[in-house]
Amino acid sequence: MTITKSTLNAVRSAVALVKDPEYPDLNIQQLGILEDVVIDASSIRVDLVPTILGCPALDTIEQDVLAAARALGYEVTVRFCHSPAWTPDRISDDAKKILAHEYTIAITPRTGNTECPLCGHTSLEKRSDVGPTACRSVHWCPNCRNPIEVVRSRKAQDQ
Amino acid sequence: MDEFEAFLDAGGIVEPNDDIPERYRHAVFRFIELHANSEYMGGLTERDWIPKAPGMHRKLTALAKSQDEIGHAHLLYMVAADLEVKTREEMMVDLLEGRTHFHNVFHYRVHSWADQIAVAYLVDGAALASQQAVFKNCSYGPYKRILRRVIAEEGFHMRNGEEMVLLMAHGTNTQHEMMQEAINRWWLPAVQLFGPDSRPDDELLRWHIKSERNEDLRDRYVQKFVPQLLNGGFTIPDPGLRKDPDDGKWKISEIDWEPLKKTMRNGGPDSARRIADARSAWENADWVRTALDAAAKAHT
Repeated sequence: MTITKSTLNAVRSAVALVKDPEYPDLNIQQLGILEDVVIDASSIRVDLVPTILGCPALDTIEQDVLAAARALGYEVTVRFCHSPAWTPDRISDDAKKILAHEYTIAITPRTGNTECPLCGHTSLEKRSDVGPTACRSVHWCPNCRNPIEVVRSRKAQDQ
Repeated sequence: MDEFEAFLDAGGIVEPNDDIPERYRHAVFRFIELHANSEYMGGLTERDWIPKAPGMHRKLTALAKSQDEIGHAHLLYMVAADLEVKTREEMMVDLLEGRTHFHNVFHYRVHSWADQIAVAYLVDGAALASQQAVFKNCSYGPYKRILRRVIAEEGFHMRNGEEMVLLMAHGTNTQHEMMQEAINRWWLPAVQLFGPDSRPDDELLRWHIKSERNEDLRDRYVQKFVPQLLNGGFTIPDPGLRKDPDDGKWKISEIDWEPLKKTMRNGGPDSARRIADARSAWENADWVRTALDAAAKAHT
């Protein structure tokens, strides 16, 4: 079987829609987990970038990616890449809005302070480095008095 | 109060900076404290299984679930403490001294890995159903927002539980038997998680802290889980279980709620050990809290 560019595109479009197991409203493309779909020794390989090493959802994501490709009639392999490293910058703008509005989850901007997704307050108080998941830290907004989870950047994860 | 109730009936969301009637504040506090305590005790149970889970993948999952539950407790205690009924420290001490309560399902022993699967499937399934019902129409803003994330994460646990039950259902005879024994132990506690029928004057319902009556949630759970278990080749440990010929719905036997009342007063089969275990976890981690406090002070 020759794999054409349009095959790769079709697989890419299908696996892009795989939902993240912990954010059922978001897919792996929006979260920047889907890196690429490539030809590898005459078969199709899907490259994924985990948000955090040792993420417990990886197995589930892999199964869902395999199933999405299979639904199109393709057997693919999944590779989890350690490079490039995932950063919150990889999250799409629309996904950032959903995270903020639906989940009360903030993202640290490249410059400036993290804003409370509810009231826009910019002096959040950090309460713990990790929260329910290893990829988010827990803060408190002293203005609207809500706990705010913030997606951790790779730099913060390394600390 | 009438005005406040009209506000709630119209779908109003209460925020911490609002003028909150005392009785509502205390009711919502008690509800969140119970939820926080339950997440905390659940996280500790999950932790017990990290070293015993079969294989790396299951260990990772157990680790992540434990972190989820403790993390949920962390968020819930923050919101509960902000209601200024008790400090977080007071809530912890009350829990560890056995003065406050946590859900019935954490008062029993988890005998085997199959029990742990039954907890992930039956108990997490019941907890998820009840949290979804609270979330749908919850009047307290900060709690509703936490529930949104809790539900997303519990959904992932649920999927994990379903996957493991299927594995046992299609496994060897020994696995099937182990799973059946676990179901026999956990079916009733899971069904009882919803509590006895709601009283007509239940304040939690009137103030939209909860949005569905306990009996409705329980019934929906039974309709979902009975067919799933039967399809897996399991039996349900209820000799009175029957399908109503009129409405085609599954009916379970009358539940004797007396043992549950005792359990909820921390007099269940494993309550004392669980609380002692939580206390030693708290005491053993004292140096971590001290070190973190010292580090935080050094930074400021």
